Amino acid sequence: MTQTNVAAVIVTYNRADKLGKVIEQVLSQNRPADQIIVVDNASTDDTGVVLDAYQDRATVHIERLTENTGGAGGFAHGMSVAYERGADYIWIMDDDCYADSDALRNLLDGQAAAEASMGMRLPFSCSVVRWTNGDVCEMNNPEPTWDWGKLLARGEQSVLVNSCSFVSVMFPRWVLTQFGLPLSEYFIWFDDQEYTRRITAAGPGIQVLSSTVTHDLAVNRGVNFGDVNDANLWKFTYGVRNEASYRWHHEDPFAALRFAQRLYTGLKGGNVPWRLRRRLAKKFIEGVRFDPKPAFPRTVL
Amino acid sequence: MTDPHDQTGAHRVFEILHEPDWFSGLSKREARLLDGALAFHCLSRPGERIRATVLRTEGRHFPSLTDHRTSTIEWPDDRTVVGTIEAHATGHPVSPTGVVDVVLDLGGSPQALMRNEQPPGRVHAARDAVRRRAPVAFDALRQHRTDRLENRRMSQPIPRVGRLHDTSVGSSRGSTKAVLFGLHWLELGGAEKWAAETINLARESGLLPIVLSDRPSGHPDIVRPTFDDALVIPLTHPMSGPQESRVLSQLFERFDIRGVHIHHCSWLYQRLPWIKAQYPGTELVDSLHVLEWRTGGFVDIALRLSNVMDAHHVISPQLRDYLVDRQGLPREKVQLATLADLTVDASAVAAGPAPAPTRKAGDPITVAFVGRFTQQKRPYLFLRLAARLRDSLGDRVRFVMHGDGELAAEVRADLSRLRLDGVVELRGADRPVSRTLEEADVLVISSDNEGVTLTSFEADAHGALVVSADVGSQASVVVPELVLPRAPLAFLKDAETTITSLLEDPDRAAALLARQRQQVAAFAALPRARDWTRELYERWAS
Repeated sequence: MTQTNVAAVIVTYNRADKLGKVIEQVLSQNRPADQIIVVDNASTDDTGVVLDAYQDRATVHIERLTENTGGAGGFAHGMSVAYERGADYIWIMDDDCYADSDALRNLLDGQAAAEASMGMRLPFSCSVVRWTNGDVCEMNNPEPTWDWGKLLARGEQSVLVNSCSFVSVMFPRWVLTQFGLPLSEYFIWFDDQEYTRRITAAGPGIQVLSSTVTHDLAVNRGVNFGDVNDANLWKFTYGVRNEASYRWHHEDPFAALRFAQRLYTGLKGGNVPWRLRRRLAKKFIEGVRFDPKPAFPRTVL
Repeated sequence: MTDPHDQTGAHRVFEILHEPDWFSGLSKREARLLDGALAFHCLSRPGERIRATVLRTEGRHFPSLTDHRTSTIEWPDDRTVVGTIEAHATGHPVSPTGVVDVVLDLGGSPQALMRNEQPPGRVHAARDAVRRRAPVAFDALRQHRTDRLENRRMSQPIPRVGRLHDTSVGSSRGSTKAVLFGLHWLELGGAEKWAAETINLARESGLLPIVLSDRPSGHPDIVRPTFDDALVIPLTHPMSGPQESRVLSQLFERFDIRGVHIHHCSWLYQRLPWIKAQYPGTELVDSLHVLEWRTGGFVDIALRLSNVMDAHHVISPQLRDYLVDRQGLPREKVQLATLADLTVDASAVAAGPAPAPTRKAGDPITVAFVGRFTQQKRPYLFLRLAARLRDSLGDRVRFVMHGDGELAAEVRADLSRLRLDGVVELRGADRPVSRTLEEADVLVISSDNEGVTLTSFEADAHGALVVSADVGSQASVVVPELVLPRAPLAFLKDAETTITSLLEDPDRAAALLARQRQQVAAFAALPRARDWTRELYERWAS
């Protein structure tokens, strides 16, 4: 009997205050991860000190990058390392995600049950993401499929989904072999949507309702273009470029135009200054010209 | 004088009625080819007398031993008759009247057979002319096409044969425990070198090796001790259907074939469903080495037949990941077991220190190519790399090309065309490879495709750095800085820069060598193919 090897991948950047709790929650799983890979995206705060405490833990492997590669680059790197280290399943999360103690076990059980029920391999399973007050976290709601209740009707605690965020999602190894890694060129935002949509070419993903985590965000609000301001513009520029690229190159130009309309409506609704709107419009055009290709991990051993 | 037919296992299945004088005058290679052919024809017609007319030629012709031409009593003008002989299968009463005539052509000499086979036609001639005149440009286009076709191949599912429900009763079996091997041909290159080793392991485990080779094979390696006392049948195609099934049935009825081990043999792969149906207790395994570009090669054939097979042995992580993760085979059915110690002493690949480099800054560097001169190995890239380095570094770098093969004439022509006479030293099979690797500072692997090259382990054992195209699982044994792009122009550019920097900076070269040593040792610590196979055969023999 082959032992299933699960690697948890945590990507962190300047979250020294939360990272310790994130790692502890993973370490205290009632089905422990066989290895925990923490990718430090060249943090400039006390993250190094936090990680030093785990340096000698047998199951913890720390990757310290020399430059900030963004969430996308960090996940691509961490997943590649997990793949190289022989992981059968790769469970990834942000550095402000606190997993409940049975989150991993329920993901594994849910994935196995759903695959048996569907008679096929499924490309990912994700958790229910709560905000700190117990409500659903608006930013991390997966998109259901048209037949999302299929497994529920069969008595399973899972629903079928098309995409999800990188806050507690687990991928089987074959997904990386077949579809490659997240696009590190995206840097931040929409990398999770692109990746999970890419891999659903092999079938739907699932959200396991009994697997739960808490996303420790300052406010519970999804992405809304009406919120753009000078301080957060940098994030939105990546978001617009990446989504425009995805819609244009991986869906069709009409999908990109529908996104442009949604962007326009959101910016107008939020009364965002024209100066910022122009910046985002330029990013949209940049996205049409931007079409990075996925890298594939490989096993050296 | 020793009889060349001694030590051939073929005599287990046929007897010669009257041995003519010429029979013992054959070369050992010809004797083994003839014995294999007689074994085939006697097994395919038990109870009948086989009257064979034996031919040979001075021309470039492969043997014709089992195909339909053997039943035609007419032959081309350039064949000469060696003699005639009568034989019959053992264990069956021989019909006093019935006699079957066959014509067995032993083909040309091995030297005459070493050439670049071209399909007929003007298109192929034109294509070959372009390839010879502009090999790098031709290769660049070829690699581009490879990438396009690979994407297409990977996007389509590979059809699989249906599973078989074990039938409760198998056909009757003989008593001598045996293994049926399928080989591509009898030239002991990389995959066949491992095949030869498994034949030795079978013998050590008390199993009789029965060896079928797929491609017309006049190679001299048939005389190697590996094949002593083995029943070797070098097949030539096309054969008739009834003959095929009768020969296989006879082998299963005369011997207790415990398992079939395939090493790159399409013919035997295609017959596995029939073997599984008729002889359900037989274990069916294979050894896989290279994922061929554009077609998948034997790996995809194995996938197609996987539903009737028991295990796939793979030699590289790349193949394991392809079969398990990409194609969804059960993990327990795919066994990664490496050949790290096949051609080097096991202790040499243990994590010991690298042989201390003696080269100092300014000392000349020796760059070597070791391998067959074939399209797959791309010797023309090495020659062009040598030309570039000669232009930039002069006599601070020397080159050795060690090998032979179907592109040998083109390699010699290129040497003159690129004015590399006296710059690149050509070495053939008369010189040991170990000597070349001993002299080399850098081994260049310019191949278009590989699994994991055995020469990488040999080079490391001799303290040579390996610079390799990024193909197969070469990245497992080559340090990342020395893994170069497969595309020819990028390969040449990066190889030139890399080797120049190794020449200028011996300290960096030494550090890379130490890391290479660690990487090879880590790879060698994976399960070994010998151990896996020995265990398998011991189970079959028990």
